[in-house]
Amino acid sequence: MFRAFLTATKIQTRIGIKEKPCLNLHGNLPSFQCALGKNQVRRKSSIRQAPLLTASPVRALMDEQICIKGRFLPPLSPITVYAQMHSEDGDLWESFAHYNTNSSGSINLTSDHSVGGSYVGCEPMGLFWGLHPAPGQREGLRLRKNNVESPYTIHISLLEGHISPRAGQVTELAAVTTERWYMAPGERRIEIRQNGIVGTLFLPPGPGPFPAMLDLFGMVGGLLEHRSALLASRGYASLSLAYFGHKDLPGPEKCINVGDSYFKKAFHFLQDHSQIDGDRIGVTGVSFGAYLTLRIGIQIGVKPSCLICINGPIGSVSKLVDESGRTENFESDQKHWTFDDQGRVSFRKVSLPSNIPAKNKVKVENLTCPLMYIVGEDDLGASSLETADLMEETLRSAGKSHLFTRLSYPGAGHFIEPPYAPNERMSLWSIKPQKLMSIWGGHPAPHAAAQEDSWKKILDFLESNLRR
Amino acid sequence: MDRNQTCVKLSVEPSRALMDEKILVLVQNGSPGSQLTIHALHRCEDGHHWEAFAHYTTDATGTVNVSQDPSLGGTYSGVEPMGLLWSLRPVPGSKPGLRMRKKDVQIPMEVRISVYRGHWTEGFLDRTPLAGVVVERWYVAPGVQRIPVTENSLTATLFLPPGSGPFPAIIDLYGGGGQLIEYRAALLASRGFAALALDYLTPKVTKETGKVVKNDYFEKAYQFLQNHPQVLGHRIAMLGLSFGTTITLKMAAYSEVIKLSCAVCIGGSHVQPVDGSVEEGLQFIHRNVAKAHFSERNEVITKDLFLPLTTDPSLRVDMGRIRCPLLLIVGEDDQSWPAYESAAHIKLMMERAGNDHLLTVLSYPDAGHLIEPPYLPHFRSSFYKSVGIAQKFMALWGGQTVEHCRAQEDSWRKLLLFLREHLYGRSTSVLRSHL
Repeated sequence: MFRAFLTATKIQTRIGIKEKPCLNLHGNLPSFQCALGKNQVRRKSSIRQAPLLTASPVRALMDEQICIKGRFLPPLSPITVYAQMHSEDGDLWESFAHYNTNSSGSINLTSDHSVGGSYVGCEPMGLFWGLHPAPGQREGLRLRKNNVESPYTIHISLLEGHISPRAGQVTELAAVTTERWYMAPGERRIEIRQNGIVGTLFLPPGPGPFPAMLDLFGMVGGLLEHRSALLASRGYASLSLAYFGHKDLPGPEKCINVGDSYFKKAFHFLQDHSQIDGDRIGVTGVSFGAYLTLRIGIQIGVKPSCLICINGPIGSVSKLVDESGRTENFESDQKHWTFDDQGRVSFRKVSLPSNIPAKNKVKVENLTCPLMYIVGEDDLGASSLETADLMEETLRSAGKSHLFTRLSYPGAGHFIEPPYAPNERMSLWSIKPQKLMSIWGGHPAPHAAAQEDSWKKILDFLESNLRR
Repeated sequence: MDRNQTCVKLSVEPSRALMDEKILVLVQNGSPGSQLTIHALHRCEDGHHWEAFAHYTTDATGTVNVSQDPSLGGTYSGVEPMGLLWSLRPVPGSKPGLRMRKKDVQIPMEVRISVYRGHWTEGFLDRTPLAGVVVERWYVAPGVQRIPVTENSLTATLFLPPGSGPFPAIIDLYGGGGQLIEYRAALLASRGFAALALDYLTPKVTKETGKVVKNDYFEKAYQFLQNHPQVLGHRIAMLGLSFGTTITLKMAAYSEVIKLSCAVCIGGSHVQPVDGSVEEGLQFIHRNVAKAHFSERNEVITKDLFLPLTTDPSLRVDMGRIRCPLLLIVGEDDQSWPAYESAAHIKLMMERAGNDHLLTVLSYPDAGHLIEPPYLPHFRSSFYKSVGIAQKFMALWGGQTVEHCRAQEDSWRKLLLFLREHLYGRSTSVLRSHL
């Protein structure tokens, strides 16, 4: 390109023809049309329709697939699609993929195959689940949205050639900015601090009454709202409930200081809500939250319509303080922690059914409503396979197999979340007494597939059990 | 608890869309073969409420799909995927002559869509719907930048698409009502064009000095774009509606400074004093205002101000001087300007001059004057304050709703293709050689 520029100028000065700069396809370097008068050379015009990159819909919900297309690119040419975004903490996350345009100069991420980059093959949403911290960011990051009322903003660009975005000078051919939202327009977020309950309620738009979900996360603690926000965007009222590691809950730290009566109150709160249909309430939980889901569903005296458990134990992995489910410090008993050769901890064996005292286990045989159990077969955070086996066997013996649905995903890790968010195979667990990384498992593509498929099945399961 | 209320599912996708994007409205889990009314409600920035509604019957699975099923009555009938938006009208009891125009383009238009059991035509706010959702309609795509422009005495707003650019640009001109109207420029930026919304009738400089701007005002706007680092200085177009057409044709034909890559004229005419600028153009209209007459509803019809079309060459743009592709968008029921008659004469002039290969005319029977971006509601008349006329009056724009709305949808799509073709270049071609 540069050489052509020099040649054109030389010829230009020689014969004094006025040039008209034409379309800047590549940033600052104009390509000159050469009208050479008698000196015959006919050069092919470099005027082309400038590349166009579109994403549809450009504002989508986090669990919506979008269609990314590039057009008016050079035919049969290598291009790179590059996505970047900043997390709430200011970390840069990015992904990229290499494609070849077709003979019309187009690409369509819904049908074309990536030949390299953060993912390969036909992956319409690969740019999103393939996001990873850019080189130079802090170690062990997890992507978590604290403020679910604002979207993630992801800038996607088309770059010339098959390149790594880090490779110095890049030429941006076209760009589009997308937003990904956890909440639908008209959806309401209500902080709940009453009767000792610490949670956030999400209500769908509309008059109600709505079916509802009680939503529980794991021992990472705090109050994670994103799944509830998405459930409400799909028409289910949903209460994210904190039970551990939250400043508004009673102390001491690292123990679960609330028991069965707390969860019962939360369930009744939903039942009594004027915009919730009290006969259509389900419970869902991941990791330790999955055990709590079983406990709530079976032994505390409430009757949910359905339960969804993801990668969690069948009983409390922490020593119980009392009958109501309160536990001791989760980290006080580390005998089942295992470490890999890089000093990263896996909690998998902690929840092996054989490591859990019998009295700590939920009596699954007393199940009275449909239960879905979701397994990531590469789960290094919990013994999900063994737990699922035990549950399946227990229910079969009790003649209740018809209540049990098992979803099992090879290559998927511990955090099976709503789709298109990246999975982190490991993350920073603690910094005191020294930095400790925990390993959760899951390989990018199969984990992403598991999230996509399981979410669809979760929504269908809720549709059948809470809406019919 | 009523089972139906918990079960009926209403979904509208996408829930956040651009103003020119279609939505899919779906009702599911209703009782089969039951009557439903789907209702849309929008509260304008000025506080007025607009509504639309349609009557449907669920099929055997209890479903209504607005994109496929016919409305049996309401503010629209038949299969109309976007009817809930374009048939919006002020709720009963509203002031007459209202017009929906977005002022703050950076926040979306919100429409509440609800489904009611039964077929109703009124009293919606007193009833409880079975379900309801909110949809957002945006003029700006994520990443579009809005930049107020005040340099060189301009009163304008520049909208830039996301990305580093540089981008081809469009100068966007509305008509005789003046003000700084941003929404179309914002939407053009969302579609990949730098767009400059320009106030030329009520800019700051006119408000402060009392002087109407001259032709150099538009040339300064053009030069502003040429000099902008994120604009392709040699790819600038002009888009004008109504009096904006007057300006666009004058600049395209006579300006030594402005060299347009293409031009789009909506609902306007080439009839104007060739000499002079905005003030002379306005005076010409006001001189002829006695020719305006009233409809039976006392709405002012101004199209006849220019009819019959003058044969005086000093009063019409010499269309033979046009050197760039020109798109004319005409509503054949335009009651405000004689766009249809003018387009016919323009075509004749260009055929005689041999430059008619540059001309494309989109002519829509039963469309009125205000051919706006798609899915905006149509109104046959509205209260109008024309710059230079002291009193507001009820102006008749014309158009039959269904045809006008189809014209908006079709013309916008073609306008974007036209702009893209001429501003982003043609397909790879061999260059002419000066042999």
